Amino acid sequence: MKIRKLLRSSILPIYGYFFFAFVYAPILLIVVFSFNSNPVNMMIWEDFTFDWYKTIFGFTSAATESALYLDSTDQLYAAVKNSLVVALVTTAVATVFGTALALAIARFRFRFKPFYRALMFMPMIMPDILLGIALLIFFVSVGIELSVFTIIIGHCTFLVSYVFIVVSARIADMDEALEEASADLGANSWVTFRRVTLPMIMPGVVGGALLAFIISMDDLVITYFIAGVDSQTLPVFIYGMLRRGIKPEINAIATIMLLFSLIIASVGLYMRARKA
Amino acid sequence: MVGRDTSQGRKMLSLLGLLAPPTVFLGVFFITPLAIMVIYSFLEPGLYGGVVWNFYDLNYGRILGWADTRYEKFDPVYLTIFLRSVRLALTTVLLSLVICYPAAFWISRMPQGRKNFFLFLITLPFFVSLVVRLFAWVLILRPTGFLNQALMEIGMIAEPLNLIFTDTAVVIGMTYVFIPFMFLPLYASIEKLDMSLVEASADLGATRLQTFRRIILPVTLPGIVGGSIIVFIPSLGNFIVPSVLGGAKVMMIGNLIEQQFLSARNWPFGSALGMMVMAAVLLLLMIYVRMMTREEEYSTAAKVKES
Repeated sequence: MKIRKLLRSSILPIYGYFFFAFVYAPILLIVVFSFNSNPVNMMIWEDFTFDWYKTIFGFTSAATESALYLDSTDQLYAAVKNSLVVALVTTAVATVFGTALALAIARFRFRFKPFYRALMFMPMIMPDILLGIALLIFFVSVGIELSVFTIIIGHCTFLVSYVFIVVSARIADMDEALEEASADLGANSWVTFRRVTLPMIMPGVVGGALLAFIISMDDLVITYFIAGVDSQTLPVFIYGMLRRGIKPEINAIATIMLLFSLIIASVGLYMRARKA
Repeated sequence: MVGRDTSQGRKMLSLLGLLAPPTVFLGVFFITPLAIMVIYSFLEPGLYGGVVWNFYDLNYGRILGWADTRYEKFDPVYLTIFLRSVRLALTTVLLSLVICYPAAFWISRMPQGRKNFFLFLITLPFFVSLVVRLFAWVLILRPTGFLNQALMEIGMIAEPLNLIFTDTAVVIGMTYVFIPFMFLPLYASIEKLDMSLVEASADLGATRLQTFRRIILPVTLPGIVGGSIIVFIPSLGNFIVPSVLGGAKVMMIGNLIEQQFLSARNWPFGSALGMMVMAAVLLLLMIYVRMMTREEEYSTAAKVKES
C-alpha cells in the first residue's frame, strides 16, 4: 500500500523531468556535437575540436582543409549583418509606433478605437505565410525591389502589434491619478508625459522592444518571401543551408545563435523578475 | 472659454501626432497588401506569371470543385492537401496538449521559487531560433542521425529506420516548436484550479476519473481551448517544418502556397489557397468566441440563480 502511494506521488515529478528532457535534449545535442571532429558523420563522436568554430570565424584548420564545407563565410557574415540591421531598425520603428498607438488608445477618446484594437489583433491570428505573400505581391506590383529595406517594412507591420500589446498591458496597470496630479500641479501635457507617463511605462516599452528585437532576429516565414537574393537574413541563410544538405558548421553557428538568444532572453526575464 | 478651446485643440493635435504615423504606415504596408491579396485571389493568372485583370473564380474552383472545364477535370488533390494539413495540425494540437497538461499540473503545485524557475525554463526555448530547434530534429531523425545511430549501437535495429520525411516527423517537429504556446495558457488555467474542490470531490466519494471529468476538466477548459487555438493557427499554414522534416514527401498547404509564389508563379491561385487558410482560422475563432460567450452567459445565469 505504501509503495503504491509512493509510486503514485512520484509519477508526476518523473514525468516532469522527462518533459524537460524532451524540451532541452535536442538543443543540448547541437551544442555537444558542435565540438565533434568527425567530418563525415557528425553524429558519430570522434574527437573534441574547435575546428568548426574556427571555420566560421574564417580560420582554416586541418579538418576544414580536407573538407571545405561552408561555401563562403562572406555570405554568413552578410546574413548576420542584415539580421542585425533589420532587427535594430525594426525595433526602433515598431517600438515608437506601438507605444504611440497604445498611449492613444488608453489615454484619449476617439471613435475608431475598435478598429485599431482589431488591427492590432490581426497579426496575432493571421498565419505568417499570409502576410508574407501579401507583402510580396504588394512590393512586386508597386515596383519596390526586394531588399533589406523591404524586410524592415515587413517586420514593422506585425511587430507594432507585439509592442502595442506589451505596452498596453503596462499602461493598464498604471495609476491614472498620478497623471492627473501632475496636471493639477500645473505641468503641461508634454512635461507630464516626459516626467510621469514615460518613466512609468518604460518597463513595458523596453520589454516590448526586446520582444520585437528577438522576433525580428528570428523571423523566417515573412522574411523568406520578401528577402531579395542579396538580402538574406541569418534564419533564411540557415534554412537554405538545411535544404541544401547539412554540414557540421551549422552546429557551431547554431550554438553561437543559441548563446546569443539565451543571453538576450535572460536579460529580459531578469528585468521582468526585478520589476515584479 | 478660449483657454479650454486651445487645450482641446492641443489634445486633438497630440492624438493626431500619436495616431497618424502608425496609421499611415499600417494602412499602406499592412492593410493595402492584404486587400491586394484578396483581389488577386479573384484574378486570372497570366500565362507566364503575373495576372490578367479579369474576374476569375476558378482559383477557388480548382480547390473546391469547379475546375476550368476546357482544360482540366476537377481533381481533389488540393483539397486532399488542405485536409491533410488540417489533420496534421489537429494531431499536433492533441499531442502537445497531452504532453503539456501533466507537466503544467506538476509545476502549478510547486512552491513559488521553484515554480518561477521552471516557468523560466519553459519560456527559454521560445527565444531559441526556430530554425535551430528544427535543425536539432533533423540531426536526431535522419538515417545517419542520433536516434538511428543509438538504436543500431545497442542492437535494437540492424538497418536505419526511415524516420525523417514522414507525417510523424512533421508532427513531432511542430509539437516541439509550439510547446511553449500550449504550455503557458494551460498553466494559467490550471494554476487557478482550487485544490480544495478536488479534495471535496474525493471526500464525497467520487472516483479519480469522475473528479477529473466533473471538476478539473471544466475548470481548465479555457486554457485547453486557448492553447489549442494558439497552436493550431501556426501549424495549419506552416511550411518551414514540413519542408525541413517532411521533405518532398509530406506536403502541407503552406508548401503548396510557397510553390505557387516562388516556383510555379501562379500568384492568384496561391492567394486563393492563402484565403482558404484564413477562412479556416476565422471559422475556428468564431466557434471559439461563440463558445466563450455562451459559457459566460451560462456562468452569469448560474450566479443569478444562486442569489
